[in-house]
Amino acid sequence: MPSTRGSLSILEPAKTIPALDGRAVDLLGRGAPDWLRRRRRHAWSVYEDTPLPSTRSEEWRYTDLSRIIDLESLRLLTPDQTDPGAARPDILAEAMLEDWAASGHSVLVDGRTVHIDLDSDFGRRGVILTSLRSAVRDHPELLKESLATAAIPPEQGKFEALNAALWSDGVLLYVPQGVRLALPVRVTRWLSEPGSAVLTRILVIAEAGSQVSLVEEVLSEDLVESTLCSSAVEVIARDGAQVQFVCLQRAGRGVFCQSAQRTLAHRGSSLNTLNVNLGSSVSRVDLNARLLGPGATSDMLGLYFGDEDQHFDHNTSQDHVAPNARSDLLYKGALDGHGRAVFRGIIRVHPGAQGTDAYQTNRNLLLSDDARADSLPNLEIEADDVKCSHGATVGQLDADALFYMLTRGLSRQQAERMVVLGFLGDVLARLSLGGVVQKVTRAIEQKLLAHG
Amino acid sequence: MPQHEVVRDLGLDEYKYGFVDEEAHVFRTKPGLDEQIVRQISTHKKEPEWMLNFRLRALRIYQKKPMPKWGGDLSSLEETLDQIYFYVKPQDQMERSWEDVPANIKTTFERLGIPEAEQKVLAGVGAQYESEMVYHSLKEEWESQGVIFDSIEDGLKNHPELFREHFATVIPAADNKFSALNSAVWSGGSFVYIPRDVHLQTPLQAYFRVNQERMGQFERTLIIVEEGARAHYIEGCTAPVYSTDSFHSGVIEIVVKPNARFRYTTIQNWSNNMYNLVTQRALVHENGTMEWLDGNLGSKLTMKYPSCYLTGEGAHGSIMSIAYAGNGQHQDTGGKVVHSAANTTSSIVSKSISKGHGRSSYRGLCKVYEGAVNARSNVECDALLINDTSRTDTYPYIEIEEKQATVGHEATVSKVGDEQLFYLQSRGLSEEEAMALIVRGFIEPIAKELPLEYAVELNRLIELEMEGSVG
Repeated sequence: MPSTRGSLSILEPAKTIPALDGRAVDLLGRGAPDWLRRRRRHAWSVYEDTPLPSTRSEEWRYTDLSRIIDLESLRLLTPDQTDPGAARPDILAEAMLEDWAASGHSVLVDGRTVHIDLDSDFGRRGVILTSLRSAVRDHPELLKESLATAAIPPEQGKFEALNAALWSDGVLLYVPQGVRLALPVRVTRWLSEPGSAVLTRILVIAEAGSQVSLVEEVLSEDLVESTLCSSAVEVIARDGAQVQFVCLQRAGRGVFCQSAQRTLAHRGSSLNTLNVNLGSSVSRVDLNARLLGPGATSDMLGLYFGDEDQHFDHNTSQDHVAPNARSDLLYKGALDGHGRAVFRGIIRVHPGAQGTDAYQTNRNLLLSDDARADSLPNLEIEADDVKCSHGATVGQLDADALFYMLTRGLSRQQAERMVVLGFLGDVLARLSLGGVVQKVTRAIEQKLLAHG
Repeated sequence: MPQHEVVRDLGLDEYKYGFVDEEAHVFRTKPGLDEQIVRQISTHKKEPEWMLNFRLRALRIYQKKPMPKWGGDLSSLEETLDQIYFYVKPQDQMERSWEDVPANIKTTFERLGIPEAEQKVLAGVGAQYESEMVYHSLKEEWESQGVIFDSIEDGLKNHPELFREHFATVIPAADNKFSALNSAVWSGGSFVYIPRDVHLQTPLQAYFRVNQERMGQFERTLIIVEEGARAHYIEGCTAPVYSTDSFHSGVIEIVVKPNARFRYTTIQNWSNNMYNLVTQRALVHENGTMEWLDGNLGSKLTMKYPSCYLTGEGAHGSIMSIAYAGNGQHQDTGGKVVHSAANTTSSIVSKSISKGHGRSSYRGLCKVYEGAVNARSNVECDALLINDTSRTDTYPYIEIEEKQATVGHEATVSKVGDEQLFYLQSRGLSEEEAMALIVRGFIEPIAKELPLEYAVELNRLIELEMEGSVG
């Protein structure tokens, strides 16, 4: 495998496979401190008490879980075994090669950290980049306070509870006050075991005035059995911090990618996110941006391109709790084949959140007769001095643009590709993360090309 | 003066239709609902057996369906429904001549200005008091062209085949809990038939009044607009203010045949103790046009989403709505457009004003089925918030299965801007005048579509109260 900076070592291999049940909670908790074992057990009881969401619930109206995944049949990988070979497929190597420009790296294979590195300069200045398992030992105070508590408690939902009970590993990124990381931290997650449930978490804490971005990439080959890739992402930006979180999802078919994300933006901070969904059979993103301090801002970007029978479901919310905060959401996607996209977004302006600026836009491009897009851009406004708007469109390829390019000698295929890229490129134009924009653009181009 | 004081009363709060008449009825069922009551209603109406069976089937559907968990707060509705009268018969027969309407009822409608309006601008008038139409008339020139404008009961009696062919085909009993309830206990409403190519020059109007305390009104209207015909139907509603809640749940079914054009205007001004849960739907055939103009000013809670099912090629649907929610009011309104044929077009324009603790919600659906090529739909929602305690929500559902379709939805929320007020005041307007002007400007695109007397009334209400707030 081509090495990035530092050497890639396999730290912890894994592979017994008990069923997804209560015993797994004890198994994962073995040797862990009491507080964590208690938390896992509590989360498991919430999981057991929470029914699987059905399409009768508003939030799952268009995504029928009962036809997507059978949680009972999934297997859990345990700490003791791993196939080191699984860490070395070409896609993973290639993806990491692109990520050389970084402040640090973390690589997780089937839910275990196999490599981690951090620019030593930042290490000296108090930045922490570590696996969650090590953090339990080395930084319990940070986890006790912020892991699955303020941002994504298990009570949030079925999958949130499952993840809090059974996470196997993940990433802790802590940036002390005033420290600024110009280059992103790259997290690469690889799945190799069909029929497994892989549950990981990311916790980012950016102290006042700090700056950091974290780019997560999810990868796998096509898997023959239905596989669950669950992640919980908690991002906290304290006063004046500038934080970006990007998730590039390129898992193979057969994977159900479920990602719960919550961002907490305190006074004067900026906390921006980008979710790119290209891979997996089904993906579900629950993103909740909470504007907790005056002057906080959140840009929320999303991109998706689905084909065959891919199904992408985005459930976003913008909670304006504090006055004078701003949030701006733009999700754009194109759908080919039997591809299907759901966007359900809500802006909630809480009582007293005067001076709110909140926007929400979802645009869809249908490229085939069998594609489908459902869009539910919602507003709930309980303050009067606000500027809020939302818009949603579903449309087809711009005929004028296509015609123009055909007259310039492009084939229909090339022309269509360009129009789609232009349509989606809009979103990337709003992202200020150089290397990442190129990487995402390449990923989209690859998928468009594969289309023929 | 602070802005919130200036706008304390925009005028829509004061309810001038709240007077009560002495109770007078020839029959009423006991409070609450069971099979016995459904049978009584059917017996009183001397209905054919199929209708009784339809009612009983609907009652079972109603009893089985759960209370909706979305929309407004229906938590105390169950209790209300146990206490209300489902059927109150005000007189023995419906009158064709205004002179024959009982004096007490006549006085009520005269206070509401009905006969006056009839003489001036209407092609026909119907008036419903409690559960029955008490009066129905149609001008001779339209009657002679075959137009039917009758009570729904007379429609069933006198035009059984036409009635049965269309009844409950647009809105089946099982559509939702309240359409099931209406199907079980319906009483009153209009039966309208516009023959082929007949163009009604002036509107038909139906007026609905609830006087009885703890009353449930369940009117049912069936309108058939034949090929190439054109007409406009206006519905108005008021009730006295009681301390207990009343209930109104209508079902309005409209069939717009090819090349026909129909407009249905509602000015809902129920008192603030009324639950108003209405199902309105039009089936629009080839190149037909259906327009809903929906004004919701009154009621405690309204849940109403006029719908256009565009099933014929080139059909067009339009829904324009305005909602006003003052203290204690929740207007959960909007519209639905369903495109299932090629080249169908639709537009929804919704405006709402929330004041005090009022809440207005837009809830809408735009659905384009696969095969509805070149379908186009546009939805615009604007909400105006008057106070910091006012609330507005927007819940659109956009479901698109056709690639060659163009669908857009936009919504904005704003308050009356200080700059706007300042600008107008610097041009010599008082703060109250400025506020009224801005609010009028906001609703103008819809108000201008209203029949003149309603537009004037709406503007007058706003202006009147602006004057009252001076000093």
